[in-house]
Amino acid sequence: MTGLAWSLAALATLVALVFAVLWCRSARESQKLLLAADQKLEQLQRQFQRFVPEDVVERLTDSADVLVPERRHVTMLFADLRGFTALCDRLDPAVTVKILNDYFGHMQRAIVKHHGHVTEFVGDGLLALFGALEPNPWQARDAVLAALDMRSELASYNETLRAQGLPELRFGIGIHGGEVVAGVIGTAGLAKFSVTGDPINVASRIEGLTGRMQVDLLITDDIRRLIGDEFDLQPMPPSVVKGKAEPIQTYRVESAAKDRRRAEPVAGPS
Amino acid sequence: MALPLNEIEWAEPILPAAPDPQWEAELRRRGGRPFEVDRRIASSPWLREAAFAVTSYQPVALSERLVRIGSMVTAQENACRYCYGANRAYLKVLGYSEAFIQSVERDVQLAETDPRDLAFVEFCRSLARSRPRPSRSAREKLLRLGYSAPEVAEMAFLIAMGCFYNRVATLIACPPELKFERMANGPIGLLLGFVTPLLSKLRRKAPQGVPDGSAADAQWATGAFGPVLATLAGLPGARIMKAALDGAFASEVLGPRTKGLMFAVIARTLGCPHCEREARKLLAAEGLTGAEVDAALATLQTDRLPSDQSDLLSWSRDTVSYDTPSIQRKTRALAAQLGDAKLLEAIGTASLANATVRLAMLLE
Repeated sequence: MTGLAWSLAALATLVALVFAVLWCRSARESQKLLLAADQKLEQLQRQFQRFVPEDVVERLTDSADVLVPERRHVTMLFADLRGFTALCDRLDPAVTVKILNDYFGHMQRAIVKHHGHVTEFVGDGLLALFGALEPNPWQARDAVLAALDMRSELASYNETLRAQGLPELRFGIGIHGGEVVAGVIGTAGLAKFSVTGDPINVASRIEGLTGRMQVDLLITDDIRRLIGDEFDLQPMPPSVVKGKAEPIQTYRVESAAKDRRRAEPVAGPS
Repeated sequence: MALPLNEIEWAEPILPAAPDPQWEAELRRRGGRPFEVDRRIASSPWLREAAFAVTSYQPVALSERLVRIGSMVTAQENACRYCYGANRAYLKVLGYSEAFIQSVERDVQLAETDPRDLAFVEFCRSLARSRPRPSRSAREKLLRLGYSAPEVAEMAFLIAMGCFYNRVATLIACPPELKFERMANGPIGLLLGFVTPLLSKLRRKAPQGVPDGSAADAQWATGAFGPVLATLAGLPGARIMKAALDGAFASEVLGPRTKGLMFAVIARTLGCPHCEREARKLLAAEGLTGAEVDAALATLQTDRLPSDQSDLLSWSRDTVSYDTPSIQRKTRALAAQLGDAKLLEAIGTASLANATVRLAMLLE
């Protein structure tokens, strides 16, 4: 082989090597870019979860799973603070926001613990849904248990407020269930996962009744039928609400029957 | 969104280690080695056997590579710190690069990734999560992509049993295998990462192929949850599931009523009419009327169970889909009511029910 052939072979090898190195570097760069883009996407997803329930984010970002609107049985829980607007006028805005955020934190904890999710905070009120994102055969029971936990959470938060010399909070909760349309509702610019239908109006009216009846937690007869005798209920006088021709029968939830049994003294030989 | 390993909150152990030297010797005789999980479940013969069967499973239809990737993805989806860490470390020892592992766990859809692999990972996540459980179309998609029916069945079995093992480890809050993880991520792991692939190339065995076991498999369809087991016809998974189910229902630590109701609750949570029907058959044989089962399922309470087990049904429901710290807190509270032996049995039963009902997606 001539010197020229050797030189050409060496040159070709060198060129091949340079190409291989460049290719490897470019592949590594692409890999790095992809991972960085994915990390950014993850971060965005986490931030998004502050505004929308995790399950909704999961389903919206998963291309294989589109949140198709559907008709389903959902239990709705409305909670509203009593007299908070008047309180706002007296308190420093920063304190007001802190109280509200802490209160919502306590309430959300109770709701999530019982398989519900908060779909919106409006002013000092909130709407929680049970069985909206996936079928839940125990949605009525879950909603009532969540409401009882919300009551305990509020009591514990009030102790904190009292210790800080701040005014205590009072709330009203209304629970009702029925068939609604669930889906992403809104415009291209602003949308949320929520439900629409007559039962949601009824749930809101029931929450409104708590103020009139001076109680903190009311459920409808539909919910009572679904939860059986698991809770101690006190029937309230039937009430007419806006949009309904017939008066609605409601019940105040006292406690879980199990708690009552635990509290009862055990009879036995002394 | 599945959490990365270092973000999974993990409690202190709920059940203490109770090593059984005889069982550990037996594990070594079988070519295994006792893990932290084995030290905590050794007192339950059926549970320890089922756990060993999962960790020593040899696939017959799927490639070892898919099995390893599937195990890690399933553990990640179930936010099981113990299994996720161990599976991740094992992938390193097998020679998979950190970049590849990260691309799988972060679901990065690399252009060069085989669409079949992507569909497999998606199926693992979807079945492990089961919110809702994947439908018939998910299975059909895999078949369309060229996976055979036995491959899909073995996938479902491995993910289901992955969910079983993940739950056992999570519910006892088993301490992670930190020594192994450190080794895999250090220089020894790097070295092993070079050597192991070479060794496995030398020893490489193609998947054995699915033996025709239809005659032997006919027996599966007759016992508890037979229709579910029948979906694994010809696969070794059928024998493993059968042994686990028979062992669980034969064990007397918790009564068959308790276990039947736990299975029924988990079937209802996941919306599986097939498994609920099977559980109801078992409960009828135990003397529970349809109305009693209906009432128990409607309220997650029944006076047909001993009083110390009154919270077991609602806890069983919570084991289907959870946030790890919350289910570990609930399990610790249950431990105070049940004591260690019954709690371990409850953990095994709930984990097995979660696996069985997930596997039953093959019946859809």
